[in-house]
Amino acid sequence: MAPTTGKRVKGVQIYRPFVYGTTAKPFDEKTNPKPPGVPDDHTHSWTVFVKGIDDVDITYWLRRVQFKLHESIPNHVRMIEGEKSQPFTLSETGWGEFEIAIKLYYVAESAEKPQTLYHHLRLHPYGRTEEEKETMRLNGGQVISWAYEEQLFNEPYEPFYEILTSGAMPASHAGGGGGGGNKGGSKGGGGGKSKEKEQAVKMVRSEGGVLERSAMIPLANRPGQPFSRETEQVEIKKLQEALVKVEELMTKTKEEVAGKEKRLKELKAESGK
Amino acid sequence: MTSHDVRDVLNLPSNHSAAPRASKKQRTGGPRPNLKGLAREVQNLGGDNPIAIVPEVSFFKKRRFASRKPATRWELKSFTNSARSDDGSLVLRHWKRKSEHGPPPAPAQDGEPEQHEGMVVDGERKDDKPEDSSFAKFNVRVPVPQYNEDQYRANLQSNEWTKEETDYLLEQAKEYDLRWTLIWDRYEFLPEHPQGEETNGTSTAMVSAQKSRTMEDLKARYYEVAAKMMAVQKPAQYMTRPEFELYEMMQNFNAEQERKRKEFALNTMARSKDEAREEESLLLEIKRILARTERFNEERRELYQRLDYPATDSDINSFKSSAGLQALLQNLMSTDKSKKRKSILGPGDGVSPGGAVPGSAVSEGPGHNRRESIAAATANRRDSDVRAGAGASAGARVSAEPTPTSATSAGAAGAANKKKGGAAAAQPERRKLSAHEEQVYGVLYHDRLGSGPTFRYERINKLYSHKSGQQQLRMTNALAELDVPPRLVMPTAAVTAQFEVLWSAVAALVDARKLSDKLEGEIKLEEAKRVERARAREVLGSDGEGEGEGEGGGEGGEEPRKEKKGGGANGEAADEQQEEEQPAAAAGGDKTGEIKEEPGSEKEKEKVASARPGSSSGARKRSASVLSAVSDKSAKRQKK
Repeated sequence: MAPTTGKRVKGVQIYRPFVYGTTAKPFDEKTNPKPPGVPDDHTHSWTVFVKGIDDVDITYWLRRVQFKLHESIPNHVRMIEGEKSQPFTLSETGWGEFEIAIKLYYVAESAEKPQTLYHHLRLHPYGRTEEEKETMRLNGGQVISWAYEEQLFNEPYEPFYEILTSGAMPASHAGGGGGGGNKGGSKGGGGGKSKEKEQAVKMVRSEGGVLERSAMIPLANRPGQPFSRETEQVEIKKLQEALVKVEELMTKTKEEVAGKEKRLKELKAESGK
Repeated sequence: MTSHDVRDVLNLPSNHSAAPRASKKQRTGGPRPNLKGLAREVQNLGGDNPIAIVPEVSFFKKRRFASRKPATRWELKSFTNSARSDDGSLVLRHWKRKSEHGPPPAPAQDGEPEQHEGMVVDGERKDDKPEDSSFAKFNVRVPVPQYNEDQYRANLQSNEWTKEETDYLLEQAKEYDLRWTLIWDRYEFLPEHPQGEETNGTSTAMVSAQKSRTMEDLKARYYEVAAKMMAVQKPAQYMTRPEFELYEMMQNFNAEQERKRKEFALNTMARSKDEAREEESLLLEIKRILARTERFNEERRELYQRLDYPATDSDINSFKSSAGLQALLQNLMSTDKSKKRKSILGPGDGVSPGGAVPGSAVSEGPGHNRRESIAAATANRRDSDVRAGAGASAGARVSAEPTPTSATSAGAAGAANKKKGGAAAAQPERRKLSAHEEQVYGVLYHDRLGSGPTFRYERINKLYSHKSGQQQLRMTNALAELDVPPRLVMPTAAVTAQFEVLWSAVAALVDARKLSDKLEGEIKLEEAKRVERARAREVLGSDGEGEGEGEGGGEGGEEPRKEKKGGGANGEAADEQQEEEQPAAAAGGDKTGEIKEEPGSEKEKEKVASARPGSSSGARKRSASVLSAVSDKSAKRQKK
């Protein structure tokens, strides 16, 4: 990247949650009529997207997204440029499922190389049980396959660090604020100018209570927003339960192994006679 | 000059037909009689729109007999006040305008509130329950934080306050609606064992029984509790703006400061007029002095800068060429710059001249140390760096003879708090984030990081990719059996951490199972060997005796397990060689028991790891063969 970027901020990791995935809908005479010009064998219209959690703006760190579709689709590499507070979306029609390579290009200030995610386009509900399949259906026959992901910026360059750590709320005064660093009093002098500018920052929240330009996750689920602290807690609980189960099995297996070792010893001793 | 003339001059089409006539009409009609006093010229000023002067018609207002409604009726109604705590037993009455729709419906006649009726003096109307007073809504209670036992233990423990006293405090706060003066006045907490010193805990009780709390103490504790409970209910970053402001205000309550503030206020109130005047003059004096010292300091700093010269302990020859001179200039410029920054950083530098004098040596020193100390933090080469730091400071001392203190202190500081201080010193310009900001922006600090963007899920992918193909398969199967979805729904930091714990546990389990399988294989092998041996011995052994027993054993082997066990035991019991047979039977029984357990656990295992469908059936077969081996063995013993 061309611009001079300064140094990396050592030992710092900043994350941003986001959501990517596909939403598909079968063609239907009434609800989703086939637009003219679509080949006969196409059965679904679908959309692949990358967006902020709770639909917050992510264009301040994500500049554009490249979706690489199946080769059979004309013009199969599509570049979507970021538009302020709009998700990165691409809509197509088709009949088959395939893997989409989603390449994320970060803003120029970050000076980071693009990264790639892979996502499988789902046109049909998929799962081991009916219940699982049902979770993939959204109102009116839409088939969703959404994934939550967190973008980690390890040791960002200083300008990018600035971008990532400002804008959500007014900067705290040096020394004040939740018992934080008060020794910043004399040292924070250099950042004084930018601070004054940021005093004007208003706290903008999305519907789920997420601040714009922050790394927050909504507290509770809402229709169409399945990722929240609630979901996280449920998952943690599930994993903990699984862990308990594993530990039980582990003790059992250990006993088993001990028993077998004993038996083997006996057998060996016997055969040694 | 009317507007008509103006139109004429401007060549505008004059609407002869309508406008002038209309205006004339108007003039003739309404205003004329009333505008007697006006000159014609004045009237003409209005042009087409004659000056509207509406004459005030003065007549008396009609008396409002217009509405012929009957006089509103008032009635004596009883009412209660739900704000009272006596649960509506006091019923008072007041006059109220009767409702429009006539008397209340009749069916409500024999209502339930008979006990009220008794109180009402002349209960002629039995119909309605006395209504609630409209002032009841002003009975508002202050919400006081609530907590339960666990929450108290987890968040609110304090050395100063027992739980009982905290409870008491909150109760008082509720009772007096947070009016602190009242709370403080009534506050009289006695610990469990009241020892009679209830008069006034001024001097005697201070020892242990009763602590006298100041209002600030009470407030501090209350705000602490309230803020913590607030945070428990809602993490700080999700609070709305006013909530957060309240939270922060409560958290930042400083009892000491409050106390001082009050003290000052008291003092200010108490001083006399003369004192006040004197104070004012003193303040002015101070301001003047401060201003003067500032100027003085500035001048002194300038002077020192003028005295500043670069250290000349190196060879001058290198500066003799023009390129060398250029380099020297660059050098001086850079030292100049760093000095400026330093003077912003530490005001102490301006006062003690030593900080500025040693020039390049010192100004380079701290920076050098910083970098070194970071390296030390990451690469654990601390010792060598301490030495390097010491060396740097020693070098500084050599060049800066007059006041070595600042140089050494800089070196010492760099060496002392290497990791923290070093990191803080390394990025002096960077903004310091508060804990709250760090949460909101998702900033975390790690010792060791590969720089560049990654995804949180990458870590889990790595977990998989570190295993071999077969292991991966086993792990996925095991996880699938545990009902863990193939992809985490929300790979947040907490979830991935939890998953890693689970992963290592599952990996250990898979390993243990592998070991178990291996052992089983060995057992099988040993048993097969033994069967072989037994067979060989059987062939060698005497035929006549062996046959019957051998047959019995063989039969037993083919029969289902349970029957065979019983049958074997019976057969053995029936036999006459009791001395040797008894332990053998017992051993056989034990073993069958033990082995019989295995398939059970095997089945459970199978439930977990469906990847190995063959193993359980193998186990069953094997156990059968084991049993037959046992019976062979017992047969063998019997034979002896």
